[in-house]
Amino acid sequence: MSTNCRRRLIRDFKRLSTDPPGGVSGSPCPDNIMLWNAVIFGPADTPFEDGTFKLILTFDESYPTKPPTVKFLSRMFHPNVYANGELCLDILQNRWSPTYDVAAILTSIQSLLHDPNPNSPANAEAAQLYRENMKEYVRRVRATVEESWLDPDEQEKMKEDGEDGNAS
Amino acid sequence: MKVVVKNWHAIAQWKWDTGNNDADDGDVEGDVCGICRVPYEGCCPSCKVPGDDCPLIWGECSHVFHMHCLLKWIGTAASKQQCPMDRRPWVTAERKVDATTNSAPTP
Repeated sequence: MSTNCRRRLIRDFKRLSTDPPGGVSGSPCPDNIMLWNAVIFGPADTPFEDGTFKLILTFDESYPTKPPTVKFLSRMFHPNVYANGELCLDILQNRWSPTYDVAAILTSIQSLLHDPNPNSPANAEAAQLYRENMKEYVRRVRATVEESWLDPDEQEKMKEDGEDGNAS
Repeated sequence: MKVVVKNWHAIAQWKWDTGNNDADDGDVEGDVCGICRVPYEGCCPSCKVPGDDCPLIWGECSHVFHMHCLLKWIGTAASKQQCPMDRRPWVTAERKVDATTNSAPTP
């Protein structure tokens, strides 16, 4: 089993701890360095402001030659995030570079919240509202911001109760 | 008075001449391979011994990596044979020898 990837992940963690970029945080699971939990704080002056959006990053032995899979655990309403939390972000797919590290990935996702790309929508409704009805877009995003403060169990319960955030 | 040298230790230090030391002053990340993030003077994660067995590779674009790290990346289809730093087509450069520090005067 290769340890290259683990060694690099330790370095990523070191860099993220000693020189943390603003508004993101992340750390490996205590019992599995290939699995990271991360939080992205919604950037100021965007509808996502004050949100604490949780993500999970899954690395395999081919990192950093291949990107990790990144998924939002918090419910998102964003043109480039699929309903299951997966992202449509070029640097995590065909524009990956092995010079990216966890800090770079998280800051890229943070800037995606800032600047959605409605031309490659993963959530057609969010993309349409973003283009045509900013007020409604902001309202829907704000609902996810409030939901992001709940812990995952509570979010799950809200889904079961049928409150999918569409009703205000 | 007479001084007698009983024994002595020679100590040597080596460093790859990446040719852009000046540009990297003050940049803590400056002296690590951008792919594995290990210092150039260390070795890539696949090697155990630094030095000539784990050399650096220079691109025409001026970026420097551990050769093994770069070749592993260039060998993947995803790399599109581009430099991982600037996405320009990767062209391996001839080792740039700094005339002032490296080359012996030629007759």
